[in-house]
Amino acid sequence: MIVPSQIPYRVREVEKLSPTLKRFYLEAADGGALPPSSAGAHVVLTIPGVHRTWKNAYSISSTPGERESYSIIVRRVLNSRGGSVQMHEGVTAGDVINGAVPHNLFALSRAGRKHVLIAGGIGITPLLSHAAALHGGEAPFELHQFSSKAEIPVFERLLGVYAGHAQVHGPGGEAEAVEAILTHQPLGAHVYVCGPPLLIELVVRTAEQLGWPTAAIHHESFGDHSAGAPFTAMLAKSKIEIAVGPDQSLLEAIEAVGVQAPYLCRGGACGQCMTRVIAGEPDHRDDVLTPEERAAGELIMTCVSRAKTPRLVLDL
Amino acid sequence: MADQGIRSRPVYGPVRLDATGRRHLLVTDKPEVPADALRDELGAFPEVWTVARTARQPSSPFLAPAEGAASTHAFRSLAQLFDALRARLSRETMGFRLYAVGSETFLADVGALGASAGLGRAEIVLGHAGSLGRRVYCVHCRTMTDGVKDNVFACSGCGASLFVRDHFSARLAAFMGVQVDAEVPGELPPIETLYE
Amino acid sequence: MNKPYSADTAFRGKFAYKNSDAGILRFPFPFAEDGYMYSVNIEPHVRGGPSEAFHHVFDVDEHYVAECEERAIVLAEDPARCQVLPHMMQAQWDTLELMMESLAEDYPEHFSLEKEGDRWTWTNRLLDIRDSFTFGDALSLPYEPFEYITRQGQGDFTLQDQRNDNLFLDGGMVTTQADWSLNFDLGMSFHEWHGPVPKAHEMGVFDRALKFLLRLPYGRPVRRLNWTMTINPRLDTSPENYSVWGPDRATVTPENVGEKVHLRVEVQTLFRLPRSNAILFGIRCYLISLAELSRVPKWRRRLHRVLQGLDPALQDYKGLVRYRPMAIDYLVDDGAPTSPGIQSDLTSL
Repeated sequence: MIVPSQIPYRVREVEKLSPTLKRFYLEAADGGALPPSSAGAHVVLTIPGVHRTWKNAYSISSTPGERESYSIIVRRVLNSRGGSVQMHEGVTAGDVINGAVPHNLFALSRAGRKHVLIAGGIGITPLLSHAAALHGGEAPFELHQFSSKAEIPVFERLLGVYAGHAQVHGPGGEAEAVEAILTHQPLGAHVYVCGPPLLIELVVRTAEQLGWPTAAIHHESFGDHSAGAPFTAMLAKSKIEIAVGPDQSLLEAIEAVGVQAPYLCRGGACGQCMTRVIAGEPDHRDDVLTPEERAAGELIMTCVSRAKTPRLVLDL
Repeated sequence: MADQGIRSRPVYGPVRLDATGRRHLLVTDKPEVPADALRDELGAFPEVWTVARTARQPSSPFLAPAEGAASTHAFRSLAQLFDALRARLSRETMGFRLYAVGSETFLADVGALGASAGLGRAEIVLGHAGSLGRRVYCVHCRTMTDGVKDNVFACSGCGASLFVRDHFSARLAAFMGVQVDAEVPGELPPIETLYE
Repeated sequence: MNKPYSADTAFRGKFAYKNSDAGILRFPFPFAEDGYMYSVNIEPHVRGGPSEAFHHVFDVDEHYVAECEERAIVLAEDPARCQVLPHMMQAQWDTLELMMESLAEDYPEHFSLEKEGDRWTWTNRLLDIRDSFTFGDALSLPYEPFEYITRQGQGDFTLQDQRNDNLFLDGGMVTTQADWSLNFDLGMSFHEWHGPVPKAHEMGVFDRALKFLLRLPYGRPVRRLNWTMTINPRLDTSPENYSVWGPDRATVTPENVGEKVHLRVEVQTLFRLPRSNAILFGIRCYLISLAELSRVPKWRRRLHRVLQGLDPALQDYKGLVRYRPMAIDYLVDDGAPTSPGIQSDLTSL
């Protein structure tokens, strides 16, 4: 079907899972059905605040395919651009938030013989939808959640329905645990990891050392890569000069002056926000450009990348 | 029909050990591994399976590969090797690499068997040695004909004169054969031996 | 729209096929300029465009009933024309939902979809079908979901699994194809199943198309046009049956070229499927004889010019070599200018 780029979600319920974790249940504000989602998909929400809005991506943690509501889990992070704080402190049941339809950059490999899901902290959110999709299916799966000591009961509760498939690991011994998890997995297995950069790096490195091919290793990170030194950008077509603040991405700065720039994932992975650079040197933080394209300096992903020079001129 | 250089056609190079793998098994359809099909020394491959083509070949424990030391197992026939490979792959774990050196048809069959056991394309390495004779799938009657060496041949199932295309199906482990004189019966191109 | 009819239509044997005047005017003529070469000619698939064939998500035209009957015949002869690999069941349900919801929304006079939770009731008044089933339970339908719904759609469909930065042809309903075999290509990757197409690979067409499709978002379907020519209004020009239809190519004469030679246009649509994250590829096939097409002067001139300048590799790949000169002679080019774009420039014939 053809759907509009932004749809209004109504917050049906907010559930506090822990001092820093809240689960939000979103339904269609018009009372209709939501598009069905796929396991690993996320939605980008436009979070309204007093002085600014944020556009943050949140993994759908509920069962894929359910059309009455989606659930997302948000970690309140103090030293970030502030979107999660706003979600925790400024959003309550009944509020309507605009957002995009689900998009998936972390899908299950459907032909896989076994799926090994590894999460750290809030990284559990996309893997909850993976587990829901795999539960009761033909391919075996395991889910390993690495947790701080304080949050073990929270994750044990979230994962209770997957007893027999899921295990919560407390702090310490991650390297040994990951090696044990990834050794002796059958041919055709796939591993999916989401969480802090160190955990992702550990899992990817261990899998590679054990001989897993790259195609069998999947990861999604939620890192906030887009903060950095301030710079200015000249939008050549719109003839507007903008200042990009240290806590705002180039894309956000462009949107703040009312220019509609293309975007999709807002995480440097999908390529939709690719923009031509007319002058200045980009600071590439994306996953899309090849080394040659990076070196040529003629393209930039506005959602995560910044500038090495004080000024960029863009073809926007 | 100008089909050469078609993307589905498998392209084989000299086989070298993939250092990212942890366990390695090299199989061939011949009594010995042809050295010029390998980029690395034969000794670099810890485990090698060959086909002796004799019933007198004693059995060896191919399911329990010797750790560290190199080992060679010879099988009585191709069928026995494939049986053993199926069993071995069902017990293998991630980190395994399968290498095959042999005829076009042998490589296609190893590729298909590996895929059905869950191996991805990066975990199977194929190198050609020996006959280029093709297994051809007649798209009209579905009969497979092995060892085809010419560009045009008569299908063993329905008798149609088939042109042997470069279009290759890994799932069927065969090249496509299409009737060459469908439009004007009897109008055949010059017959050449291309896949010797 | 014209009420679909099927009486006296046959896509095989003695052949019987014609487009009404309205059918001719809505034909998706594929050439926007006087020459043709491969390109990544993708545009958003919105309800609208220069041809009425683009005005609905899945176009249903006056040949609907006849084409569904023809599909049923092909499947009775060769069930391997519809195959879906086991891991694609979710994509099958995605497809059923997409097609049922779209058809019911676009043509409420012909199709209805009622839902009570998982219990759905589908009515197809054109084919006299009314079935209640449980969404998600393949046993509650007379066929698996993909076969069930594509038997009620015009054109071919394939399911492409997205994994490892690539697309794999892991399912399809292929009965009106321009010379490719589902049974042979099933399981191939994007570049592999496009393998036989000349020139386009070196031009990078498939590299760019693949990158674009890997990022295709849900709710933003795209479409493009492809074309070839067919002798007689035959839909099943499969390699499987080449021995049957191949000889037709040698039966074209200057006397019969207008009736026998048909321009065959594929309106290809691509949808991201929501649950499976797979891609549905629709290949909707339209036929028009040169005689019918010549009633639109702009199209007559333009097709003459396109055929005249067509790269020999494409002539060969599209199977036009035997009759192309006769077709060019038949399509009289009076040298008048043609407007850019594909539209007919006529409101009536």
